[in-house]
Amino acid sequence: MLIQLLTNKYPGMRLWLSQRLTAVVMAVYIVLLLVALLIIQPADYAAWHAFVSPIWFRLATLLFFMCLFMHAWLGVADVLKDYVFNKVLRAYLQMAVDVALMLYLFWIIYILWNV
Amino acid sequence: MQNITPNHRLNDKKKLRPKNLNLFTIRLPINAVVSILHRASGVGLFLVLPLILLAFQASVDSPSSYLLLTKLLSAWYVKLFLIGLSWAFFHHFFAGIRHLLQDIHWMTSLQKARFSSRVVLWLVGIAVIVFAWFIWP
Repeated sequence: MLIQLLTNKYPGMRLWLSQRLTAVVMAVYIVLLLVALLIIQPADYAAWHAFVSPIWFRLATLLFFMCLFMHAWLGVADVLKDYVFNKVLRAYLQMAVDVALMLYLFWIIYILWNV
Repeated sequence: MQNITPNHRLNDKKKLRPKNLNLFTIRLPINAVVSILHRASGVGLFLVLPLILLAFQASVDSPSSYLLLTKLLSAWYVKLFLIGLSWAFFHHFFAGIRHLLQDIHWMTSLQKARFSSRVVLWLVGIAVIVFAWFIWP
């Protein structure tokens, strides 16, 4: 059933599912992060830096932000479609959002790379 | 086949229906309140994304930028802003989990949906208070 719904015939279904899957990934990451922070409680720069440095933490964080940007892209697109009725204006706003999210992606890669 | 209304009659009926879009007299049911706040908090979180990235960058960049960030974050008005931000996050988080559970058909009857809305609002309130308690000193 689900596989059938995910074919090219129903493109919206994949967007719908992407929004949910990215939400689940983010929720798991955030809960794990909160637990880890409460256990380790990094209190200064050295401790915080040691907390962030491991490659698996940085990869997980990159995955989190990729999900976040995808999730935000889908959500903001829905909001724009609901409230901005002028098609030209909406296209420009959507483009601004797309560019911003792409820049954020490069930005977070840059930050995580240089930790 | 005789109970299919012709199109023009349907349009006439639509025009006769009472319509109220006055935001000050609409009383949203609690499910709708949770839902619209989920959307509003999502937009809010999207808008502060650059600030979150900037803060994260400052926290890992160097000891001096870390110190600058902690100084900035200890100002009371920044803390107030953070508490507001935590509301947006917690509401989006808990209401989002509620929507996910409804997607898998859990608690979808009207009565249960109203109950889960109240649960979400309580959880958000408690989480924001705990967060405020945590960061205020």
